[in-house]
Amino acid sequence: MAYVATRGGERAIEQAERLYREALGPITPERVAELRLALPLLVDRVMGEASLYDPDLAALALAQAGGDLYEAVLLLRAWRTTQPRLTIAEPVRQAEILTHRRISAAFKDIPGGQILGPTLDYAHRILATEVMEGETFTPAPVTPAATPAPARQPSLADWQRANGLVADPPRSEVAPDDIPDVTREPLLFPASRAHSLQSLARADTGGLLALGYSAMRGYGNAHPTVNELRLGEAEVMVRHPSGALFSAGRVRVSQAEVTSKGKSGLLDLGFCATFGWNEVKVIAGATLDLNASGAAKGSPVEEEFVLYHTEPVEASGFCIHFKLPHYVTFQSSLDALRGAKTAEKDEVPA
Amino acid sequence: MTMMDRLPPTLVAGAPLLRMTGVSRRFGRVTALEDVAATVWPGEVLGIVGESGSGKSTLLRMMNLEDSPDAGDYRLALPDTAGNLFDLDRFARRQLCARRIGIVYQNPHLGLLMGHSSSGNVAERLLMAGERSFAALRARARGALEASEFPLTRMDDPPKLLSGGMQQRVQLAKAIALEPALLLLDEPTTGLDVSVQALVLDTLKRLQRDLAITMVIVSHDLGVIRTMADRVMVMRHGRVVEEGLVDQVFQDPQHPYTQELVHAKL
Amino acid sequence: MTLSTLTRPWAAISWGFLDASAKREMRRKMIKAIAVPGCQMPYASREVPMARGWGTGGLQVTLTLLRTDSVVKVIDQGADDSVNAASIRRFLSRVSAAAETWDTLEATLIQSRHRVPEERLREDQVLVLQVPNPEPLRPVQPNMSIARQMHADADYGRLWLVLYEQMVRSGRIMQGAAYPALVNGRHVMTPSPIPRWDVPKLHMARHLTFLSAGREKRLYAVPPFTRVEPLVFSDVPYKVEDHADLVCHRSGLRGVFMNEIPQDGGGSAFEASDSHLGIKAIRRAEGAATTIGPMWYEEGRFRP
Repeated sequence: MAYVATRGGERAIEQAERLYREALGPITPERVAELRLALPLLVDRVMGEASLYDPDLAALALAQAGGDLYEAVLLLRAWRTTQPRLTIAEPVRQAEILTHRRISAAFKDIPGGQILGPTLDYAHRILATEVMEGETFTPAPVTPAATPAPARQPSLADWQRANGLVADPPRSEVAPDDIPDVTREPLLFPASRAHSLQSLARADTGGLLALGYSAMRGYGNAHPTVNELRLGEAEVMVRHPSGALFSAGRVRVSQAEVTSKGKSGLLDLGFCATFGWNEVKVIAGATLDLNASGAAKGSPVEEEFVLYHTEPVEASGFCIHFKLPHYVTFQSSLDALRGAKTAEKDEVPA
Repeated sequence: MTMMDRLPPTLVAGAPLLRMTGVSRRFGRVTALEDVAATVWPGEVLGIVGESGSGKSTLLRMMNLEDSPDAGDYRLALPDTAGNLFDLDRFARRQLCARRIGIVYQNPHLGLLMGHSSSGNVAERLLMAGERSFAALRARARGALEASEFPLTRMDDPPKLLSGGMQQRVQLAKAIALEPALLLLDEPTTGLDVSVQALVLDTLKRLQRDLAITMVIVSHDLGVIRTMADRVMVMRHGRVVEEGLVDQVFQDPQHPYTQELVHAKL
Repeated sequence: MTLSTLTRPWAAISWGFLDASAKREMRRKMIKAIAVPGCQMPYASREVPMARGWGTGGLQVTLTLLRTDSVVKVIDQGADDSVNAASIRRFLSRVSAAAETWDTLEATLIQSRHRVPEERLREDQVLVLQVPNPEPLRPVQPNMSIARQMHADADYGRLWLVLYEQMVRSGRIMQGAAYPALVNGRHVMTPSPIPRWDVPKLHMARHLTFLSAGREKRLYAVPPFTRVEPLVFSDVPYKVEDHADLVCHRSGLRGVFMNEIPQDGGGSAFEASDSHLGIKAIRRAEGAATTIGPMWYEEGRFRP
């Protein structure tokens, strides 16, 4: 009878959820569309971590989660994993990416040229407070260059390779259809190259930044130089059952390649790419990739350490799971503690 | 102990305990061992001497089955082993080493869990061999530490809080806890103070006398080899250049390199 | 033949939530887990609509085992009405229309966090334990690749060493819940953070137990009639929590695992952790017809 009083669990969780959703208010197609337009880089970040390229669904997830990134990523991941895989796209080659922005810190100028593209890098970060006073912040119009930069750019590493400067890792010749998929198989170590790069692509931006930054500050072995940073759009080329290759659309992608002088006397490369435009993530990810080879077990740049601890869904889920009741484990430890105390009292000197 | 046990080992009848033949090992372009053969008789102490890079430690690691050669044969005359031990899989190697071979490394970090208790380090060895009685673990760990002349008041302190000499005694206790058929010593006293070194050597000597353990001791220090070993193998560039009874080799070295070594020491 | 005869109408969620390819992988890994008792099998561990660490591993096993005639019980800390248990149970029935129950005797499938029910499980029942950390070696070796190698080598010396040092330091084994146990004489597993009270219930049991860690992507199993032996010294007996003589202040039950409720005036009251067993005991005391099944513990002692 007294137990009945504690049976409120089901109602409590329902009402708690309502309280949360009530504060967010109704989610309308207009709200989702506005989010997608207003916050493209946030949408990009969520798509990258969810490894699902669909700006509309990403905006919906953000709306539904009220902007909680981890909730949004989990919503998309849980949706994604139930979807059938219809086909596997052709690999994207660097030289085929429609490039919006491409810079290298390694050389003053590079074959194909430096393209600054859209960036706030040299903007003064001043809050446009006039907007709060009723004015509209209207960006100044762009004056197009006299000669547009070529849409496609060669890879800088190819030039370095041709000049015998790069220590190329052994290539694994896997047919595109057989590339292991980390969303369908467990990540085990030592990880395949595909699993490492996929995990970096899906990794938590903040997590990669924290670990990447620690490597840059000196906990890593290699100091990165940005060989090439690229933001662009890639065609998703798929094969029709009849055999024809066609583009199923374009996705925004970022990639970074960082380099440092390796033990062999040649340049080592670190690489990271992800869906959407997210420069911090790919630079940090590439730095960690650069540092991974030969890293000591348990060091903060070792692949197992990095990839396990930057998985956004796993890390955030485990962190919040500590809110769940733990009375049984606590009771069990308490029992051992009390037993030891009693034993201490009764102890006869040996 | 009878006089027979202490006869020069080469005169002891019966089969050798350890026999290694044709052992070669390369690391990239470096030849660590080239067609090395070694034989150790029961109760004997074999010394291996040579400068760093001569392959002596690599050879000792092979005897402990920590590494495999590119070619070679390794046999121990023990009732539960047969055939070339280099052919054993990882699991069988671990079992054999845990039960029958003890090792003391120059660097105690290689042989000990520095943060666990000293007695626990010894007990772990016994646990791996299947001892499951807490009272027996305690007694046997204490016994092995005592035999290694380790101060028992500190038996539950972790090695990281102990001096270098005491750390070596913990390693030694761990190595002899299961009364191994073979005890391997890799520069066991290098880096210790001279006085501490002498005490540790005394302990080793006494253990060898009391337990008649077969030992292989690697050292760059001729004094250590002269104190400990019955027979000596001189190594250089991965090859055995000279071999014989300690007194004989040190008094009348044949190979130019050995002559150089002995004269440098004198 | 038309396309529509070959397929089903579109649905937002598959029956049992997981799609066929995910379930096929789960089935394969679960069969492997049964074949090598106590050995951790890596699996892809799909995201499910719940946060990692909240029973997603158990959920994937339960979803794979669900049948149209399944009767599901979900408990957290022994309680059916605990919020997360309620959430999981609601999800299970939402994606499968499985029948729900609180009664251990009626359930065919029991998903649990941190407890094994006090009533004996039968051969027609499956227990699914949620596991936060599947690796018993984690405290002595946080690197998973090295730990895997240690399992392959049956290299459990360090686990024993931890117990040895607890004995040296405290005069008793200090391990609380999640007591490591040797399964089928080969693999050491963590039985998930169940209390020591519950570990003997897995030994030579009639039921099948799956243990699954979604976040860590590992699952393992204890098949029926399999040895599960807690790591103990031969001269230091295994000790369960000292609950045999405690009395539940609500139901009057005695000899079951208890929750301790600190009281205002100092001291503690106790209530049965297996909440539905408590409810049944209260009902029976009130004269209602209720069946309490045979128990693992009788008069505070485990009955093999």
